[in-house]
Amino acid sequence: MSTFKLGKMTLGGLFKKPETIQYPVQHRFAPEGRKGHITVDIDTCILCGVCMKKCPTGAIEVDKKAGVWSIDHFRCIQCGYCHRECPKDCLTMDPALPTVAGQKHRETFEKPAKEAAAEA
Amino acid sequence: MGKATVIPFGPQHPVLPEPLHLDLVVEDEKVVEAIPQIGFVHRGLEKLVETRDYNQFVYVVERICGICAFGHSMGYAETVESLMGIEIPDRAKMLRVIWHELSRVHSHILWMGLAADAFGFESLFMHCWRLRERVLDLFEATTGGRVIFSVVKVGGVVRDIDDDQLKRFVDVLEGIKDEYRQICDVFLTDRSVKNRTVGVGVISHDDALALSMVGPFVRASGVKQDVRLLRKAGYDMLDGFETITASDGDCYARAKVRALEVLQSIDIIEEMIRKLVPGEIAVAVKGNPADGAEACNVLEQPRGECYYYARGNGSKNLERMRIRTPTSQNLAGMTTALAGCDLADVNMIVLTIDPCISCTER
Amino acid sequence: MAFEAKFMEMGAEDVLRCAQDHKARGWRFVQLLCTNTEDGIDVQYTYMKDETIENWTVKSVKKGESIPSITDYFLAAFVFENESHDLFGIDIQGIAIDFQGRFYDVSVPEPMTVISPAQKAAREKAAKLAAAKAAKEKADAAPAADAELEAKLAGMDPEKAAKVRAAMEAKAKKAAAAQEQAAPSADAELEAKLAGMDPEKAAKVRAAMEAKKAREAAKAAPEGKGE
Repeated sequence: MSTFKLGKMTLGGLFKKPETIQYPVQHRFAPEGRKGHITVDIDTCILCGVCMKKCPTGAIEVDKKAGVWSIDHFRCIQCGYCHRECPKDCLTMDPALPTVAGQKHRETFEKPAKEAAAEA
Repeated sequence: MGKATVIPFGPQHPVLPEPLHLDLVVEDEKVVEAIPQIGFVHRGLEKLVETRDYNQFVYVVERICGICAFGHSMGYAETVESLMGIEIPDRAKMLRVIWHELSRVHSHILWMGLAADAFGFESLFMHCWRLRERVLDLFEATTGGRVIFSVVKVGGVVRDIDDDQLKRFVDVLEGIKDEYRQICDVFLTDRSVKNRTVGVGVISHDDALALSMVGPFVRASGVKQDVRLLRKAGYDMLDGFETITASDGDCYARAKVRALEVLQSIDIIEEMIRKLVPGEIAVAVKGNPADGAEACNVLEQPRGECYYYARGNGSKNLERMRIRTPTSQNLAGMTTALAGCDLADVNMIVLTIDPCISCTER
Repeated sequence: MAFEAKFMEMGAEDVLRCAQDHKARGWRFVQLLCTNTEDGIDVQYTYMKDETIENWTVKSVKKGESIPSITDYFLAAFVFENESHDLFGIDIQGIAIDFQGRFYDVSVPEPMTVISPAQKAAREKAAKLAAAKAAKEKADAAPAADAELEAKLAGMDPEKAAKVRAAMEAKAKKAAAAQEQAAPSADAELEAKLAGMDPEKAAKVRAAMEAKKAREAAKAAPEGKGE
C-alpha cells in the first residue's frame, strides 16, 4: 500500500475549525453586493412601470391607479435588471437572502393615498 | 461467448451529475455497445427567444446550466454584440475573461470531485468540494452570486472589481493553488487511482478527429484544439499559453489534462489581473438587430468548444438563437469509448467526458 | 474577432457533396441547426478549420422534402439530426443512429414550428407596419422620378416634348389606375423606358401594349376596349 497521501489533510481536519456552520442558527457573513432580494423605496417610486416591463420573469406588478407596487419574491431571479433600469433609482438589491416559506406570496407596497392622488 | 443482455443505466444514478440514459448491451461483463438517450431535462429554452427581448434573454441563457452559466452568458453577449456591431471597452473584455477562467477552475475542481466519487474515492470528493467553496466565495464577493452571476449584459459587464478586491482575489487564488497541488498529487500519483483509469476508454488520435470531439476530451487524445488559441475578445491581451495535451487518450490522460488546466487558468487569471486597464465597463446599447442579420461565435468553455448563432429580424426579439454545447458534440465519442469496456468502468468513462446534459438539451 | 465567419447558401442536393468535400480537406464538423421561417425551415451546416468558420445554409425546406444524412462522414451529427427531426419535423434520410422520433420524445410534435396566437398577432402587426412604411417610401420617391423626367423633356425637341408629355399624362392616369389595382411596378418601368425612347418606336410599343391590355381586359371583363 502506498503512503497514506491524504493523511496530512485528513488529520489536519481533526484539529481545524469545521468548514460548515450551524445554519439557520448561525448565518454566514453577507458580502456587500450579494444578490438577496429586491426592495423598493415607495416614496420615491413614480409607478412608471418600467421595472414591470423589463422583468424577465414577470415578478413585479405595478398598478398606477391604485398606487400599488408588488413583487413576488419567489418568481424573482435576482438578476438586477429592474434595479438598473429604474429611472428614479428607488429599487435596491438587499444582501439578505429571502427566507423559506410554506406558501408563495406577493409582497405589496402601497403609496400613501394623498400622494397617489397628487401623482395621478 | 455469452448471451447479450441489455442493462439500463440512468437516468437516476448516484454517479451521474445529470440525467442520461444508456442502454448497455452487455456480454459477460463486457459492454459491446452503448446507446445513449437524452431528453429528460429539455426545457425548450431556445423557443423563449420569441417572448423575451435580447437584453432579457441573457438571464435565460445563463440558466441553461449551472456550471457553464457564465460561459453561456458571455458567449451570448459576444454574439449579439457582433450581430449589432457593438464594440465593448477593453476593461469589460478583461473582466469577462477573469470570470470565465475562474469558472473553468471551478468546473474542473468540481469535476475532479465527481470523478473521484465515481470509483469510490469519497474523501477526495469532499476535499475537492471544500476547495470549491473558496472559489464560490470569490464569486460571491465579486459578482454577488455563487453559481449564477447575472453580471454580463449586452454591451459589457454590470459590476466592476476594485483594487483591494483584486488584491484579495490574488491572495485567495494563491491559497487555492497550494492546496490544489496537494489534491492533484494524490489523484494523479495514487496507485489505486491509476489501476482504475489507465488504459480505460481509449480513443485514438484518428478516431478523435473523425468523431469531431471537442474540449479536454479531445486534447487528451493528442489533438491540439483549443478555441482560446484564436485569441479573440480579451484572450488577445494574454502573452500566449501552451495548450495542454496528452497522448494516451485514456481516462487517466483526460484527468491529467483537466488537472493541469486548472493551474494554467490560475496563471492566466493572475496575468490578466496584472494587466487590467482602467476604463469604462459597458457601453450603451440602442436599437434592434437588423432584419436578416446573422452572427456566429465560438467560445472555449470548460467542457469544450461552444458555438453560438444569432439571427435578427428587425424587432427587439431575436429571430433565432442557437447554442451548440460541447457535450452534444461529444456524445458520439462517448458511445465509441464505451464500446468494449468492462461494466464497472462505465461510470468512469461517462464522467471523463464531463457530461453536462442540461446544456445539451436546453 | 480573430476568426472569419462566412455565410453561404446551397441546395438540398449539395449537402452530401459539401460534407464529403470538407472531410477530405480536413475540416471539422461543428454543428447543424434549423431555423423556422415563413417560407419553410432553413437548415444550416457549420464546418470549421483553424480560423475560418463556414456556414452553409439550405434555405426553405418544406414539409415533405427530405435531406440526406451526413453521418457517413461525420458520425457526431446524429445528435443534431435527431434533434432537428424531433423539434422541427425535418425528414432526414439515413441517420446512422436513428431514434425515429423518440430522441427527445416531446409531447407536442415539432414544437419549434408552433407559433402561438399572441406571436402570430405580433408578427402580423409588424408586417402591416412594414408594408405601410414601404408604401410611404414609394410615394415619396415617385415625385422625385417625375422631376427627373421634366428636366429631360425641357432639353428635348418641342414636338417630341409635346408627344412625350401627352404620353406621360396618359401614363400618369394609367399609373394611378394601376396603383389602385396594386400592380404598378412593371407598367411604370416600361412607361419610363418609353418616355426616353424614340417617339415612333414609343408609339409602336405603346400600341402593342394597348392591344395586350385590351386582350386582357376582354378576357377579364365582358366589355371590349376596341383598338
